[in-house]
Amino acid sequence: MLGAATKRSQPQEQPGGDTMAESRPTTATSTEPAATSGRPAKTIETRGVNLFYGDFQAVEEVTTTIEPNKVTALIGSSGCGKTTFLRSLNRMHELTPGARVEGTVTLDGEDIYDSRVDPVAVRRLIGMVFQQPNPFPTMSIYDNVAAGLTLNAKKISKAQKDGVVERSLRGAHLWEEVKDRLDKPGGSLSGGQQQRLCIARAIAVEPEVLLMDEPCSALDPVATLAVEDLIGELKSRYTIVIVTHNMQQAARASDVTAFFNLDATGKPGHLVETGPTQEIFTNPNKKETEDYVSGRFG
Amino acid sequence: MPEVARAEYLEELANLEASALGGLDLVNIALGRTLEAVERQDVELAQVVVADDDRIDGRYLEVHQALITLLATQSPVATDLRLISSLLHVLKNIERMGDQCVNVCKVIPISGNEPPADEEMVRLILTMGRQTKTLIMQAKRAFEERDVEMAQDLVRQDDVVDNLNRDCFRLALELGDDADKREWAMTMLLAARALERTADNAVDIGEQVAFVVTGLFREFEDASHPS
Repeated sequence: MLGAATKRSQPQEQPGGDTMAESRPTTATSTEPAATSGRPAKTIETRGVNLFYGDFQAVEEVTTTIEPNKVTALIGSSGCGKTTFLRSLNRMHELTPGARVEGTVTLDGEDIYDSRVDPVAVRRLIGMVFQQPNPFPTMSIYDNVAAGLTLNAKKISKAQKDGVVERSLRGAHLWEEVKDRLDKPGGSLSGGQQQRLCIARAIAVEPEVLLMDEPCSALDPVATLAVEDLIGELKSRYTIVIVTHNMQQAARASDVTAFFNLDATGKPGHLVETGPTQEIFTNPNKKETEDYVSGRFG
Repeated sequence: MPEVARAEYLEELANLEASALGGLDLVNIALGRTLEAVERQDVELAQVVVADDDRIDGRYLEVHQALITLLATQSPVATDLRLISSLLHVLKNIERMGDQCVNVCKVIPISGNEPPADEEMVRLILTMGRQTKTLIMQAKRAFEERDVEMAQDLVRQDDVVDNLNRDCFRLALELGDDADKREWAMTMLLAARALERTADNAVDIGEQVAFVVTGLFREFEDASHPS
């Protein structure tokens, strides 16, 4: 049960096999060195997902499977609902006043919208990296990474925290650049470094899934490629969903591409086609997809 | 927002396709002159074909470079990407077909200005050449019209050329022991071989038509595993 995730430091046997709460060691006590090997990640499935802002329906009937250990890119023109859909995958959509969700979203079969599930636990298991790098600017680099741990864990020793911070910064390809100035403010880093710091902060709490909302749109080309390389490595440990307006980024960085579109302004967005990125960009099934990826429309 | 975006890029791509396929017209002209040179043992006309091959090579280089630029600057995907990829193949085939015409024309001076040793051999080669011209124009039309059925029909047309090539070989064997005659027959077999390869290039272009339309590349005929 997802809600139990807040009690992961004391896993309990529950009927029905492993739960996410039991499947992995707690973040707070995880002090192993930087893990580079792969691990099975989790699958997100959506069934008949409809998303609303008050009376306005933003997304209509999305049924899809987001595969584990793969990067899935959500593409589509502005206003087609891809970011709204992304935010529904970790229950951030409902934070907007008047927003609501219909349909089901499951993480390895567990309904994240079940009434017994704690939304905060969902957001810890399904982390989010935003368009604009948003480190706490005056907080130190170290504390930025440790922020999630501090909020989530009850007690954690300094040594344990040091281990997690190093592992997370290594995982985000930032350790070598900042290891000698961990006490400097997060705001002192470059844009690309700040975004990698945000990724380090996201993976510090050992999520299952990483959602990224246009993570490179504020970065220069070099920093963009560094983040794309990082995404490519992170997929060996996480399920990754990325929203991007950059067709080449979707083509370069993702394994699966999902194309969203809307019939007209004011109409809800819908999922047109999902497929291996290679196929979407060389031989898509739908003409609508072809027109979009070729730049014919939008 | 305009209904169709990237109009300039699409126009550029369409122009490059027309320019690349126009290379097949240049090949057809070269092949027509080649056949005339063979028929009349016309060494001067053969030299014109050899010199004029620079036009075909020039077309290859010009369109090839423009397609590479389009790839680098426009990031084409899907059908556009398949079209550009196939045009690069087609250009290579055109360049090779031009070279084959040159190969035929280069053997003409070897046999000199003497009358042909065997009229039947010349007739077979001319028939091969005319059939190859038909293939080239059919390949061009199939590409322009994205007609996979017409492209696949090139295999049937190519069989005619292959059979004529085998007839040439048999005839050469039957020409007797006269050394001059045998030498002449050898040069004519080289010419027949060049024409046979040119027809194969036309079939290759047909395979690219199927790739552009379906996204799947497959050889219409596998020479290493004939059915």
